[in-house]
Parts: sequence; C-alpha cells; structure tokens
Amino acid sequence: MAQTRALGEPILSMDEISLSFGGVKALTDISLHVREHEILAIIGPNGAGKSSLLNVINGVYHPNRGSVTYKGETRAQMRPHVAASQGIARTFQNIALFKGMSVLDNIMTGRTLKMHAGFFWQCLYYGKALNEEIEHRHKVEEIIDFLQIESIRKTLVGRLPYGLQKRVELGRALAAEPDLLLLDEPMAGMNIEEKEDMSRFVLDVNDEFGTTIVLIEHDMGVVMDLSDRVIVLDYGRKIGDGTPDEVRNNKEVIDAYLGVSS
Amino acid sequence: MSQAADSAVSGETFLTLLLEHARVRPDNVSIREKDLGIWQSWTWKEVANEVRWLACGLASRGFKRGANLAIIGDNRPRLYWSFAAAQSIGLVPVPLYQDSVTEEMFFVLDNAEIEIAIVEDQEQVDKLLELLPRCPRLKLIIYDDPRGMRHYSQPELLPYSELRDIGREYDEAHSEFYPSAVAEGKSDDVSVILYTSGTTSKPKGVCMTHQALIDAARGDVQHDGFNEKDEILSYLPMAWVGDHLFSYGQALVAGFTVNCPESSDTVMTDLREIGPTYYFAPPSVFENLLTQVMIRMEDANRLKRWIFSACMDIAKRCGAEIMDGKSVGLFDRAMYALGNMLVYGPLRNNLGMSRIRVAYTGGAAIGPDLYRFYRSLGINLKQLYGQTETSAYVCKHANGESRLDTVGRPLPGVEIKIADKGEIWVKSPGMLKEYYKRPDATAESISPDGYFMTGDAGFIDNDGHLKIIDRAKDVGKLNDGTMFAPQFLENKLKFFPFIKEAVCFGDGRDVACAFLNIEMQAVANWAERKGLPYAGYVDLAGKPEVYALLQECVDQVNADLAQEASLAGSQVRRFLILHKELDADDDELTRTRKVRRGFVEEKYAPLVTALFDGAQHCEIETQVKFEDGRSGTISADIAIRDVKLVTSESVRQAT
Amino acid sequence: MAFFIEVLISGLMAGVLYSLVALGFVLIFKASGVFNFAQGAMVLFAALTFVRLIDILSETFAPILLSLAITIVVMIVLAIVIERLVLRPLVNQPGISLFMATLGIAYFLDGFGQSIWGSDVYALDIGIPKDSMFILESVFEGGILVSSEDLVATLIAGVLVATLAIFFQRTRVGRALRAVADDHQAAQSVGIPLNYIWVVVWSVAGLVALVAGAVWGSKLGVQFSLSLIALKALPVLILGGFESVVGAIVGGLIIGVGEKLSEIYLGPIIGGGIENWFAYVLALFFLLFRPQGLFGEKHIDRV
Repeated sequence: MAQTRALGEPILSMDEISLSFGGVKALTDISLHVREHEILAIIGPNGAGKSSLLNVINGVYHPNRGSVTYKGETRAQMRPHVAASQGIARTFQNIALFKGMSVLDNIMTGRTLKMHAGFFWQCLYYGKALNEEIEHRHKVEEIIDFLQIESIRKTLVGRLPYGLQKRVELGRALAAEPDLLLLDEPMAGMNIEEKEDMSRFVLDVNDEFGTTIVLIEHDMGVVMDLSDRVIVLDYGRKIGDGTPDEVRNNKEVIDAYLGVSS
Repeated sequence: MSQAADSAVSGETFLTLLLEHARVRPDNVSIREKDLGIWQSWTWKEVANEVRWLACGLASRGFKRGANLAIIGDNRPRLYWSFAAAQSIGLVPVPLYQDSVTEEMFFVLDNAEIEIAIVEDQEQVDKLLELLPRCPRLKLIIYDDPRGMRHYSQPELLPYSELRDIGREYDEAHSEFYPSAVAEGKSDDVSVILYTSGTTSKPKGVCMTHQALIDAARGDVQHDGFNEKDEILSYLPMAWVGDHLFSYGQALVAGFTVNCPESSDTVMTDLREIGPTYYFAPPSVFENLLTQVMIRMEDANRLKRWIFSACMDIAKRCGAEIMDGKSVGLFDRAMYALGNMLVYGPLRNNLGMSRIRVAYTGGAAIGPDLYRFYRSLGINLKQLYGQTETSAYVCKHANGESRLDTVGRPLPGVEIKIADKGEIWVKSPGMLKEYYKRPDATAESISPDGYFMTGDAGFIDNDGHLKIIDRAKDVGKLNDGTMFAPQFLENKLKFFPFIKEAVCFGDGRDVACAFLNIEMQAVANWAERKGLPYAGYVDLAGKPEVYALLQECVDQVNADLAQEASLAGSQVRRFLILHKELDADDDELTRTRKVRRGFVEEKYAPLVTALFDGAQHCEIETQVKFEDGRSGTISADIAIRDVKLVTSESVRQAT
Repeated sequence: MAFFIEVLISGLMAGVLYSLVALGFVLIFKASGVFNFAQGAMVLFAALTFVRLIDILSETFAPILLSLAITIVVMIVLAIVIERLVLRPLVNQPGISLFMATLGIAYFLDGFGQSIWGSDVYALDIGIPKDSMFILESVFEGGILVSSEDLVATLIAGVLVATLAIFFQRTRVGRALRAVADDHQAAQSVGIPLNYIWVVVWSVAGLVALVAGAVWGSKLGVQFSLSLIALKALPVLILGGFESVVGAIVGGLIIGVGEKLSEIYLGPIIGGGIENWFAYVLALFFLLFRPQGLFGEKHIDRV
C-alpha cells in the first residue's frame, strides 16, 4: 500500500516547541515535520507528552516557546477553531462525542465549517439552508457508508459500544474533509478484530483521500504496520524519528521504550 | 386470484417476462435499494434498459452462448440484473454464496467452468484474484462497488459501470443484436445453476430451466394471489433457491417490487421502512426477532409488561382463530381489538410486519411457541416445503389452513408418493433438468418413473397435509414393521420446556424407548416453586417428582402419536432421565448440537439394555471431561419408567 | 369540584410563568455549565427596558412592536457584552467563579436598570385582555372562572417552548448548541466557535427573559420584585433537573399547582402563607430523595 503514495512537502512543522504546566515540563524543544500524505505515528511511554503534542498542533494548548508552521504559515500558537477551519481534524483519547446526539447528528457537526448558509435562514431551516443541509447529509452518508455504520445511523452515540464510538468519532473528523487528521489512540481498548477494522479504515482514508495522518498508538504491531514514519517521545523529549525499522533498531528507543514494554 | 392471473404476464423465458413488464407497466417500481441512506428505485423500463446494456456489454466481450457466469454478493439490484443480462444472451448464471471461503468458492468455479464473474465488491474480488491462477477459464471479473479498487490493475478486472457503458455504445451500434439474442432463448434452456450446500458430499449444481422456474413461480403466485402491488425485502442469500424463486422468479411473474437492504446489519430497520406485504424467513430469523422483542419487554416498566403479557394471553387464545376466520366469541373479539390497538399493532409495526399478507417459513421445524406468537399477532405465517431440485415448489399451507405440524397440501401440478421407509418422492413442475456434469447423481436422485427422491421421510395425514418427520436414512422400523422416526419423536419431546435433549431408540426392536435430559433452568425453577429441595443436577434428575413431570410430557407425545395411523405404533413405552447433560465436549453431541445417536447408544450400552429388558433401574458409571480439561467419573443409579400405550380411542374419550 | 378545577387551572397558569423563568436558567446551564444567577435580573431589566421604551415611543405608529424590537436588540447586545467581559476571561475557571460573576451581573443589572429607567412601578399594557370568562358551563354549574390574561400567557409560553424545541432539534445552530452542551472540547475540535455559541445562548436566554418579564409585568406591573421571581425558579429547577427543558416546564407546573392547592386546602388547617414556602420545602424533599431532579441526568464522573 505504502509504496503507491507519493509523500509530499511538509504540511506541518514544529520548531523547538516547549510546553510546561506550572513548572512541570510536558514538552521540551520538540522539532518535527509532517509531510503531506504521510502516516506518522507518535509513540512513547505514558506521560511522554504525546497527547500534549497533538493538543499543541490543534491549539488546545499554547506552547511557551517555539512555533508551529502549518501550510506555510508560521504561528506561535494555534486556536482550536482556527485549526479546524484550516483543515485539521482530530479524535480524542477518551472519546469526545456528543453522547446525547445520534450518530448522524454527531457526524453532521463535523460539517460545521463547511456550512455557509446565513444564520437567519438557518433558524428558518429554509431555502439555501435546506439545500445545504441535504448536500451535507449526502456527504455524511458517504462517510457512514465508508465506515460501514449504516445500521447505527439513528442510534444515540451514548448507547454504542466503545469500538463503534471510536469509529463514529473518526467519522466526525472525516466529515470535515481534513487535510491533516490527528488520531489520539484510535485503537485503545479494542479487540483484535476491531483493531484490524480500524487499521484498514486509517489506511483507506490515507489512500482514498490522500489525508495526512498523525496518530498516537500503543500497539506496536499496529504502529509498525500502518505508519510511514515513527517519532518516539520520552519525558517530553524527542528521542527517535525515522521509519519503523530504523526506530525499532534505535538503541535509545529500545532502552527507553521498546525494550521495557515489549 | 384473478388479479394475480391478470398481472402475471405470459412468456417463455425470464427475458420475455421482463420485456412484457417493461411494456405493460413501464413506470412501476421494479426494484429498490437503500444507498447512502436513501431508497433509490428503478422502474421496469429502466431495469429493462440496464439489463439490455449489461447484456450487450457482455456480448461485446465475445462470450458464447452456454458459457457460465458466476454472481457473488449481497442482494443488489445490479446483481439481480446480471441474472437477466446473462440469460438474455444465453449465458448461464451461477450464484455463489457470498460468505463462502476461497476453497468452497474454488470448487464451484472449477466445477461449473466459470468464465465470467460479476461480484459485489473488493472482498469478493480478492477471493477471486487469489483463485485466478487455479481457474484458467475465468477471463473477466466485473465488480459493482469500486471502493478500495483504485490500485487494482489486473487485466481481468472491469467495473460494472464501465461494462454497462461499453454495452450501451455496443447497443447503439448494433441495435438489432439484443432483440435477436433474446428471441433465440428457449424456455427449456437452462436458466440458472444453483449449487446445493452439500452437508455430506461435495455440492452439486442443480440445473433449472426457464420453464421449470417460471411454472413453479406462477404456481406460487396463483396460490397466494401475489400481484404487482406486493413488496418484498430480499435479504436471504442470492445463491439459495428460495431467494432466486421469490426475488427473481416470482417477482418477474407477478411484477412485484423487490427491495434490497442497505447492508446485512440494517435488515431490521429496512424491514420497518419498507413494510413488505410478503415475507419469508427461516425459523431462526423469526426466533431472533422474538428474542429481541422479549429483551425489550424485560427492560420496560412493570405496567407495560403487564399490559403486554395480558394482551398476549388474549392473542394466544383467539388471535390465530380470528385471522383464519373461525368463529370466536364476541367478548374475545372485542378484547382482541383492544389488544390490537395497544400491543399487536405497534408490535407488528415495530417488526416491520404491519402490511404483511403472507409470511412463510421453512427449511427447519419451527417451535410451537414461536409459531403461535406470530400467528396470534395476526401475521399470516405459514409453512412451505421444497428443495432446490424442485424449485422449492412442493407443498404450502393455503390461507386459513396453516398448521404447526404440517407443511400443507401438495401444490397444483405436484405429485407426491411415499416410498419405502416413508421417503417422500416428488414430481413437480419445478423439477431440475439434471445435476451439472453429474449424470450419476442425476440417476441416483430421479426414479425411473420421474420422481425426485427427496431423502426426507414423511407421510400424508388424514387431512391431506404432508408431514415431514425426519431424514429418510435415519428412519428405522420396529420389529412389527411400524415406522420409527427417532428425530421426529425427539423433536416432539424437546418442544417441552422441561426437556433439553432426547435420544430415542427403537430401530430393530420391539418398542420405542427414550433417554431424556432435563432442562436444568426450567426444572430448577419448577422445583423451587414446588418447594422441592435438591442437591444439584444428578439429584434433581433422579427425583421421582421430576420423573412424574417428564412422564406427563411423554404421555402427551404419545397421545399425539396415537392420532397418526402410521406412527401410533412407535409411542415411547419406557424412558429414563440421564444423570448428566449430553455434551459436545464428551462427543455426545455434534458442535451444532445434534445428537450422535450411535455414539450415545454405545457409551450408555448398559442403560439401553436396561430400557429394553424391563429392568426398573440401572447403575452406571460415566467418564466426563470437566471444563478445565480434567476427566472424572459420575456414577448413578438411574430409574426407568414405563409409560402406558395410548390408543386413538382413549384420546377421543378424553377430549 | 368546579372550584377545585379553578384552583388547579390558576395554579397551572402560575406554573407556566415559573417555567418560563426556569427555562432561561436551563438554557444557559446546558450550554455553558454556568448557573446564571442573573436570570431574574435579566427578566427585570428586559421588562423595564420594554415598558419604558413603550412610554418613550408612545408617539410613534407602533410603540409596542418598536419597543419589542429594540429591547430584543438590547438583550442581544447585553449577551455580547457579557460574553466579552465576563465569560471569555473566565473560561476554564471553576464553576463557582462563574457563578460569582453572574451574581455580580445580577446586582449590576438591578442597579443599572433602575438608575436608567427609574424604580417606580410601571403598568405594562401590551394588549392582553384582562377580563375573565367562564368555561365549561355545561359541565359544572356556573362554569369555571378563567382569567383570559392567564390563557394568553400560557399560549405565549407554549409558542415560545415550541419555537425553542424546533430551534434546538432542527437547525444547525441548535445542533451546535447541543454539541457544546455535550462536550466543549469536542465541539471546538470540529470548529464550533464556543464564543459565538455563548452569545447565542445568552441572547436566547435574554429573549426568554423578555417574554417572561412582559407576561409577568403585564400581570403585576413592572417592578423590582420581578427580579425575585428568579428565587421561585430555583425550586422549579431542583424539581425538574438543571439540564432538562421538559423538566423546567413540568417542574414549573407542579410547583404552581402545588402552591395554589396547598394554600387553599391546607391553609385553613395549618395556617396561611403556605404559598410562600411550599416550593422550597418541596425542593428540599427532592434534594434529599432525587437530587438529579425528575428529568435530570445522573452524572457519573469518570476518573
């Protein structure tokens, strides 16, 4: 699969990013770049700063130092809805879905930034807004079809099993037609079959839509299979960056992480 | 009936039927499919065009009449059209089960010498590509859903839409081709090869002619009065004769609308949205539906539960009778009407069955509770009997004649003969032409005088209904020559909630006797209500009270048997309750929970001997495997009970 | 019997008004997790603005409609100002800080409103008929006395609730509101701007306050005590649950009816004035036995 994709120019670069929470250093001088169409995995022990890194990328956390360059524009920090409007979508480690809403509505919210009808027509749900709604619904149905969740489209998300919720969350992120997709442990807590399904979806997304994907994952098998490149974090520092094979053979990485946990 | 006859157009092949519908009712909906959340529909005119273009596309690739074409996938409009397209240019469609693994698929592809395959999606394509090196005849693989296919570059692959466009151009260039190809088709051409799922031997390809399937379909349509206004949901495998008959044969004869579900997971929702008027499901599907209803009722509050059970009691008393137009008291009618408003109506709606005129089940015995439940809700559930080789056209219940224990009367044009050991022989308009490339099997299954030997044992009861009792090879004889059908007896026994398993013995003996297993949960509950103390399974199974309980069940089975002349002699005369549950881990059952009679007979030989030598009890020691893998022994002294013979007179006196 | 029904109906009508006020609380609580103590003050402020504008604009062609429009604009501007000056700086602060902030808003609005518009009691006449009528005369001797003012108020409240329901369930903004109520972080990640949503919610709460203020005001006159009905809304919320629109309505009705019935039927036995404390005692019982309210969600905080 991987060989059929041409990796492009860096879409995102982080330059000497440092982040601390009241004296506790979460990230120290992290520099990295993500290239277009690539699947990049971030690994590291618990507390290594993986989620913080994602949160810096989409602007939930504002770094104390350093800069983020995205699509050629350099910023000291992102803001979440700016990130979203610039084509960054994400999922969360502890599933942040709208539990009281149906699968369909959840994925529809992913279209928020694609909707343009004015507020007034919105309220009346008429004219342009109605046409738009139909158009977006079509797009959302394509995603439902893509993720094979037709049977649950009207189900309240809170009633779904964990694995399916993860899939719906991916669907919501996809609804934004992102250029950069951040997945925070998309396969945590899944059984083998669910992991296989999810891996296939991740590969398909990357393959069919050319989406760049940054993912955090603990399952080393999954990481090695999926990713083009792996970045290893330990105590907020970057200790490895390379192809899965390179990382697997990196001594520092083995000492810090691979050797201990697997 | 007359309406059905009107809407059924005449024609000699499925193609002439299709073209006739396109002429008579061009704008009626022929088929629907839910795609991207919306029901898409195609009219007869559009379907006729789609079929024409696809056929031309296939022809443009130079396939010759008589070549075989595989169809693999879920129920999809384009796959149904593939049948017609293939038939119109003399190719023979061969549907394969979409969930078969590569090796199973290989057997059929190889055996049927498949040259073209039209498949649903990537999953099927992958299987075929894997087999491609071993199937040199396979030249063309057409796929419907392009998802995930972007990087496939094998020269054998072609997307459906592309082939259709090629065909459209071909048709414009050679507009005379298609009509002449259709005209070349004859009604005794083989229209489809359906592979039987061989449980014991390799699958066999059953060759059906247009004539046979159309006659069978027309017989069904007239029997149940189907017409162009009916709707069905097609969700059973396309490779199964039932779906081919209902969704293709009958649909083309009666002109009704076929609905394809969105996916196999959404069938329940789709059913609700479509509300078919005609529905088929094997007993297991009906059982799943009932279980879902029951689970939801458990979650409901106490008031709702009370209303539900009160209404179901009324329905059980009179629902089926009201539907069949029998005489029912005014009070019960009023109560039923109330229940209909409160419970049955909403429930039917929830099950997607509010518009059903005719529902069928078949293929396996349906449990009495299940059967009564649906009928009492006012769903016209009936049974049918048939097999691939007879186009599933043998017996059906007529409206108002549905019965639990029979499969109805022989359909018009069907002749039934009961041969040796009760084997059912059938002559049906829908008979197979032959088994594909298997003259030996054809000769083995069709008698010299032209009957298909079903291998099922049964008899025609006093009302002229066919009753199926067992597979013929399992039917034996008592020493006095009475037919002994162990599985029939066992099923009857197992219908009682207290009996989990039963094993009957009698072939080559004087009388029939049985081993019984108690259903622990049900009997334990019963014991609790009775205040009967017990110390575990073995103790409970040996209690005289439990023996008395099961004896009542056996008595009832005997009373039933007494009413059937041919089985009255095989009543269960002695039984015992086993001290352990028959278990697949101990090889006593197969993994699909069928009793391995021979093994059980050998393992418990002393008990069998004791059953037949008149002993009142018998001691036995048995090896068992525990769940952790250790083995041990259980010993017990098992009592044996005599059961008295019921005569048909005594039954009549009692009632 | 007829008398009982009369009491019941008047209780229901009062209940509808409680519900209206409670609704404002629920909206804001759902969307931003803030218990808006200023809702009562907003009711007073809206009603005062409305009634005084009618006075000022009495010479124009449609004083009531014009004032209504201007008041709506004022409430929206108020929402924007609150979002800018109070909510945005306090984002991610503990709930208690926000609660204290709304307390501040409440006192500010009370004072600010009265210093601009004066602190007299103003009669508000927006054309609601004040006469009473008898209904169901065929069923009960003498019929049942119903104030048409109450009927109109109920009607208005009903229309408002229906409109809100459609707004929440059907529109994109409604969906965004529900999304924000459900999970802030996720809502931000899909590009829903929290600030904008807060403005919308506070504006809607402002409109609800305006309706409540207008209805109450036309019944009792616009005066400072209007801001105290916020205190009545508290037991309604405890009864109905802080997060449920349905709860706010049902809770309001229960308290309205309960008050009136207990006043009439229990009053003679245990002394009058029950109306004044009935709601709070009922709320107390609910806090003891069903703290999440009738329609509230049970919260399980994940570790």
